[in-house]
Amino acid sequence: MDEGMNKMIKVSNLYHSYSNDDNYAVKDVSFEIKKGEIFGFLGPSGAGKSTTQNILVGLLQLQQGKVEVAGYDVKHIKNKMFNKIGMSFEQSNVYNKMSGLENLEFYRKLFDVETKDPMDLIKLVGLEGKENIKAGKYSKGMKHRLTFARSMINNPEMWFLDEPTTGLDPAIASEIKDIIRRKKEKGVTIFLTTHNMYIADELCDRVAFIVDGTIRLIDSPKALKLKYGEKLVEVEYFKDGELIKDSFSTVIKEEKDRLVEVISKYDIQTMHTKEATLEEIFIKVTGRGLV
Amino acid sequence: MIKKIFLIFQRDLKTSVRNFLTLYILVVPVIFAVIINVFSPGINDTTVEIVLLEGENPQQIEYFKQFAKVELQATLEDVEDRVRKRDNIVAVLPDQTDEYFILAQGNEPDYVVDYVRNLTAFDHFEIGMEDSMVEIVDYGRDIPPLKKVMVNAAMMFVSILGGMIIALNIVEEKTDNTISAIHLSPVSRIGFIAGKSMIGVVVPVVGTLLLLIITGFRDINYFHALLMVATSCIISILVGFIEGINNDDVMNAAGNMKMLFLPLFGSIAGEELLADKWQPLFYWIPFYWTYKGNALVLSNKGSWLDIIRYSGIVFGISVVVFLVLAPRIRKGLE
Repeated sequence: MDEGMNKMIKVSNLYHSYSNDDNYAVKDVSFEIKKGEIFGFLGPSGAGKSTTQNILVGLLQLQQGKVEVAGYDVKHIKNKMFNKIGMSFEQSNVYNKMSGLENLEFYRKLFDVETKDPMDLIKLVGLEGKENIKAGKYSKGMKHRLTFARSMINNPEMWFLDEPTTGLDPAIASEIKDIIRRKKEKGVTIFLTTHNMYIADELCDRVAFIVDGTIRLIDSPKALKLKYGEKLVEVEYFKDGELIKDSFSTVIKEEKDRLVEVISKYDIQTMHTKEATLEEIFIKVTGRGLV
Repeated sequence: MIKKIFLIFQRDLKTSVRNFLTLYILVVPVIFAVIINVFSPGINDTTVEIVLLEGENPQQIEYFKQFAKVELQATLEDVEDRVRKRDNIVAVLPDQTDEYFILAQGNEPDYVVDYVRNLTAFDHFEIGMEDSMVEIVDYGRDIPPLKKVMVNAAMMFVSILGGMIIALNIVEEKTDNTISAIHLSPVSRIGFIAGKSMIGVVVPVVGTLLLLIITGFRDINYFHALLMVATSCIISILVGFIEGINNDDVMNAAGNMKMLFLPLFGSIAGEELLADKWQPLFYWIPFYWTYKGNALVLSNKGSWLDIIRYSGIVFGISVVVFLVLAPRIRKGLE
């Protein structure tokens, strides 16, 4: 199979300047996303995440570079492309004077492909019973869920999610994450923009760190942890009635032997591998925090 | 494409009806029509109304119908009740001696009672129109001039209302942040703009039709009227888009649309009050040409050539304005 056919997004040497000069918001950004992959685009506010995403979906005009989304050249966007993509915005954007159901009914009729039943989506995001209330009367979280539901209405092959769980309570955020996982299982490709490293760690196959408009690193969370995490195990155990905290290298033979001895002789209270979090790796790689 | 344009129009109409301000704008043409009818004598109004007993004298009923508005009641009591009502209707009733008497409240204008008395006498002596020796010579003005001016101005005003609703709908899209969502659907930018514009055509067209029907202009060429309305609303649509884009507040957008009233009423004043030598000062205003075209439509004297000439000038000026504003509209809706 042609490698190119398997790619849902191909970006090469992307540049964008809002002032049309050398002051670039996005500089020489290149990456590819395979079909069925969840790709996390991580960075602090103002890093260039939204600019890149808006170029990919055609909300911003492509100035320099080459971008292909779902087989379409973004330089010459065809309306048909939007039948294949869906986007859930960070800021909910629904018609406040229309009910939740009316919002979805209106949006579904704009597509030329088979669409989902709006009521099914309403149920999926937990808005059942509220579907006939005007969206203007919804809480922030409910509007966010409606925006999220709308992004699925055309069964997108390429799904853009901008901070999908921001502002949601943990239970609803968990439901949203489950929906994202189920979509991935069905082969949907997902471009996840976030500054929340935990959701990226949970969901993404690969992540890109972007800072000051430049991609600093692209890899899978697991590989990053292996590469940047310390190869240590931290153990808490009781020895002669006293709680001892100790750490053991997993690569030095003497320490490995000592760890085996501790496990066999003492009462272990806690034991953790000293993995780095994505946030720690981000700070280590970019020298910047995420806020 | 057409289906999607219609969907956007349908959505706009639905939410417009739910908003008090836009709902009010939608019914303004009807309010105008009623006000015009109240303040100016109608072209189809018969000033004298007579109530008669049903079946009492069919010949007399037919005779009166030629010269007055006739109402029939079944019983004498019904006739008496009808006369007691607040309007100036009077009854013509038979007495015991086969003569007729006029029943009135007593506060009717003299000319009403005298007119009915004369009609009754003419009927009695079987005097018809053919017996008159008077030749009528007129200037061909069968419509009260004030009424024509009022309806003409109202037609132009209604064309602005469509633009006003567009401005309000664009502000709504901006405050709800929904334009980006529409741009991520298979609706082209042109389709979106066309869909948004539709209400700016439909409201003036329907409003004008209602206005003309209610005010009694039923014998004019409606195709002429529609052509004038369709071209005159282009400017309002363009200004509606610009005001929608430039404002984040519904009241500001509606308020700024009022700037169109100045050239509108200026054109009417210029045409009606100023001498010919000052007329070229108004040639650049599309409303000026719309007013002249509408005047021909309302007096039913314009040929297709006249109407096409005036609507063509309005269209031409609108195209120039469109070329100036289109980039701003396109950029503003990004």
